[in-house]
Amino acid sequence: MTATPIALSVRDMHKSFGPVEVLRGISLDALEGEVVSILGSSGSGKSTFLRCINLLETPDSGEVTVAGETIRMQRTARGAHRASDGRQVDRIRSQLGMVFQSFNLWSHKTVLENVIEAPVYVQGRSRAECIEEAEALLAKVGIADKRNFYPAHLSGGQQQRAAIARALAMHPKVMLFDEPTSALDPELVGEVLRVMRALAEEGRTMLVVTHEMGFARDVSSRVIFLHKGVVEEDGKPQDVFAGSRSERFRQFISQ
Amino acid sequence: MDWQFLEETFVSLVAAIPLTIELAVTSICLGAILALLLALARLSGFTILDWFARLYVFVFRGTPLLVQIFLIYYGLGQFPVIRHSIFWPFLRDPYWCAVLALTLNTAAYASEIIRGGLLSVPHGQVEAARACGMHRLMMFRRIILPLAIRQALPGYGNEMISMVKATSLASIITLMEVTGVAAKIISETYRAIEVFVVSGAIYLAINFVLTRLIQFAEYRLSPHLRPPVPVMRDTAAAAAPIGDPQ
Repeated sequence: MTATPIALSVRDMHKSFGPVEVLRGISLDALEGEVVSILGSSGSGKSTFLRCINLLETPDSGEVTVAGETIRMQRTARGAHRASDGRQVDRIRSQLGMVFQSFNLWSHKTVLENVIEAPVYVQGRSRAECIEEAEALLAKVGIADKRNFYPAHLSGGQQQRAAIARALAMHPKVMLFDEPTSALDPELVGEVLRVMRALAEEGRTMLVVTHEMGFARDVSSRVIFLHKGVVEEDGKPQDVFAGSRSERFRQFISQ
Repeated sequence: MDWQFLEETFVSLVAAIPLTIELAVTSICLGAILALLLALARLSGFTILDWFARLYVFVFRGTPLLVQIFLIYYGLGQFPVIRHSIFWPFLRDPYWCAVLALTLNTAAYASEIIRGGLLSVPHGQVEAARACGMHRLMMFRRIILPLAIRQALPGYGNEMISMVKATSLASIITLMEVTGVAAKIISETYRAIEVFVVSGAIYLAINFVLTRLIQFAEYRLSPHLRPPVPVMRDTAAAAAPIGDPQ
């Protein structure tokens, strides 16, 4: 039996905002096809952790490796940690599909234009091919009929599904979800979770920062619980939810 | 009412409209480029560029355009360095002096309008562009600038209208645009009211057209702000440039 390759690896990540130490040494290896739910109370650093992976926030130290390629970092004269090669960062970002809490669709472009924008302009693929693929993706997330609508004319759930299609259009190696359902009305959460569940079943590698316990328990293959910037629990959902040794995690899920 | 005099005045003033429009269009276009650079300097994060732009805006917004015109037209020629420079063929010409003064002046105002537009671009949309691997220039061209222009357009419309009216100051350095011609007719006829009424009406007409153009541009650029129209564009039309209305 051959070992499953590692899709994403994070080594000893630290991040502070001023005097507040948000991440205090987090490491994670996500295997290909793994769906990792990242749980934690507010302020535990889970969103920051996700944003440090694609360098939307620059970690103070630590190493990120995507599909075997490590992001090269350097220290500036003042001691700040930053990426040494902007192009490499851009390339690696294009392999990490990010889905935001507040969707962040480009408001001046239609749904279809949102989906084809990065494949056409970042990856330089042919527009016709991208449009064809985008239509298939929009059909997959169930909003094919909305392709010529602008984001402002869609419900939150539809916007988030369009954002997922936009991320998928880049053929990402790993999908990063930053609280994808937290900004949605309760009745719209289900449609987004259904799409995410379908992606998980396809065998996509996903990191999901979420408050949806049902998703973490039933869909993910692994659950990580962050508390005060460190990994407090890490394991299969049935083990973590059933027999957690962590008092804090038991408190967290009983809320 | 001396209809014949009004008609003659009108005909003479209409002949001067091309120069007025040329002054306005040239200085608005050049000014827009300078304004964008100034706005970027303000937002660049480099202290030197930021302070240069602040000082520029302070000086050109804080002094009268008429004074700026005088300084450029009468002032620059006093310096031998400038008289012997390659710019002298331009700077000795009142037309280019007027264009220069108008450009420098409008750039100061417009840079603040553009800066406001750039600052209004939602941070999340910029982040989404970064997250999918766009480099800075592409992000600026494809996401930030189109969104900023939409925000800046109403304010910029004001500035363009001001500029059309400001071209009248060029008459003071001998340019025969609408106001220049009007002043000449008055000095020959002493009939100030009729002549200025006609010239005022001409500015009003120019600005009416300009206002409609700005409205049209706003409409074209903001399909996402209108209620949705259930349309089915075909694939070819969907591939048309951004901002294309139905």
